[in-house]
Amino acid sequence: MLVEVKNLSYVYSEKTPFEKQALKDVSFVVDEGQSVGIVGATGSGKSTLVQHLNGLIRLKNGKITVLDIDLSAKKPDLKALRKGIGMLFQYPEYQLFADTVASDVMFGPLNFGFSKTEAEEAARRAVNMVGMDYDSVKDRSPLELSGGQKRRIAIAGVLAYRPKILILDEPTAGLDPAGKREMLSLIASLKGEEISTVITVSHNMDEIAEFSQRVLVMNNGKLLYDTTPSELFYRLDVEALGLSLPHTVRIVRLLKEKNIILPEVLTEKDLVAALLAYAGGRNA
Amino acid sequence: MRDVAFGQFYPADSFVHKLDPRTKLLAGIVYIVAVFLCTSYYSYLACFLFLVISIIVSRIPIRSVLKTVKAVLFIIIITVVINILFYSDGKVLWSWWKLTITEQGLIFASKMAMRLLFLVLSTSLITLTTTPMNLTDGLESLLTPLKWIKFPVHDVAIIMSIALRFIPSFMEEIDKIMMAQKARGASFDTGGLIKRAKALLPILIPLFVSAFRRADELAMALDARCYNATPNRTKMKKLTFTGRDVVAWVLTAAFLAIIIMLRTGFFGLL
Ligand SMILES: Nc1ncnc2c1ncn2[C@@H]1O[C@H](COP(=O)(O)OP(=O)(O)OP(=O)(O)O)[C@@H](O)[C@H]1O
Ligand SMILES: [Mg+2]
Repeated sequence: MLVEVKNLSYVYSEKTPFEKQALKDVSFVVDEGQSVGIVGATGSGKSTLVQHLNGLIRLKNGKITVLDIDLSAKKPDLKALRKGIGMLFQYPEYQLFADTVASDVMFGPLNFGFSKTEAEEAARRAVNMVGMDYDSVKDRSPLELSGGQKRRIAIAGVLAYRPKILILDEPTAGLDPAGKREMLSLIASLKGEEISTVITVSHNMDEIAEFSQRVLVMNNGKLLYDTTPSELFYRLDVEALGLSLPHTVRIVRLLKEKNIILPEVLTEKDLVAALLAYAGGRNA
Repeated sequence: MRDVAFGQFYPADSFVHKLDPRTKLLAGIVYIVAVFLCTSYYSYLACFLFLVISIIVSRIPIRSVLKTVKAVLFIIIITVVINILFYSDGKVLWSWWKLTITEQGLIFASKMAMRLLFLVLSTSLITLTTTPMNLTDGLESLLTPLKWIKFPVHDVAIIMSIALRFIPSFMEEIDKIMMAQKARGASFDTGGLIKRAKALLPILIPLFVSAFRRADELAMALDARCYNATPNRTKMKKLTFTGRDVVAWVLTAAFLAIIIMLRTGFFGLL
């Protein structure tokens, strides 16, 4: 068990008129190698939940264990925790601050106790991993890069210290469709080769259908379902939860109305394969 | 971070909340003047009572009011310490090198501390009980006479309301940036003064970048809608004084009168 959350509750601004219960009795477990999506309407508590996982929000009620670190302990080892569980926020490019790309990417590794040369090596690896050429960008100011490049550098800044788990809170927000696709394939390529476990918060159901093996559905601070994408999109009433359907599932449904029955596919690749198989079957 | 946003509006249904913002601003000015007129301990007591009663009537929990003091406690302590150590008149209680602690110095410093506390508490009581919009409307209305000397009252009011409008956004922004840097292993509460100051760079730089970006976006949005600060814009909500305000004026005037009487020894009667 990489991540274990038990009876987690959280209230913002407790005992003030702004009091807001953001999480109610949430429990789940994530095992090594999984890729988990977290979905839910806006304000349902997704960000609050993932911010608990690397100790950005102090645990008040419940129990969390991440990478064998007990967050309910009096003084959990936050450095070790945050080194093991990388986190990328919405618009990660807004966190860039250093005067050069190299020193920005090295910020994390140096904080986590890498030596100067190790950090430099880690930065080179990470920048190349996100598809940029380290030697040509290392001395440039991160602020003069394009939006997409900034985001890549921000991702490199997290990959550089080699976290085991990667948490992404709306990684594709504000990107155009091509940028989204690029970003997602980047994340998909990292999973497995570099990072064993990915937890993604997303409003985009296409992303969930494409990349997650498991989905947690949040509703009003509660964990409503802990299920698979095909169960969620084909069995449960997704629209009632304020969520949309992925395009692939919509196409399958539309075709069903026209009496074209396809298997319950989720990814685009599978949909194309199913359509081709269907057409092939008819021609034969 | 949003928890510590000091002086933010605290919604409640109270006499003080319902007062016209101009009444509160004027009462605040009178109170500050009164605090500086204080000499005897009785007058400090009067200021203290006036403040405590106002806080009680405003139905804001003491905890939230005191939180605003926390933000400036450091400044108050420094002032007090410097005053104690460098005040050299009066009976010497303790002395070493150029530093002396005198009886007079202690009295002076404690009065200073009370003044500062009263100032902070009274101004934060105004911002806690008044929405930013009302506050700027009230200020604009109070400053209107300055139009005679060509002071751009309306523009200043707009600038203030935009600034106030952005404070919560900035708090949120700081929160987000801090989280992102903490996730990358930054720590803001360890090390000496210089190390801590340096640790703020990863927050301040993104914050400035985003502030300029926001300002740019806002300017563009205003231009795109052909905004100009016409002086004769009408208000959605007109400010009006009610009986409540009259009560507040009378009480404030009575308070000021008491302070003045205490200062002059009841005009020589005592
Ligand atoms: N710092 C805060 N202070 C007070 N309340 C907050 C704070 N952050 C979030 N909340 C409230 O807690 C609830 C859950 O917020 P959270 O950000 O976890 O939702 P979310 O599911 O991530 O939403 P979104 O999809 O919009 O990002 C919301 O009602 C929100 O208003
Ligand atoms: Mg969120």
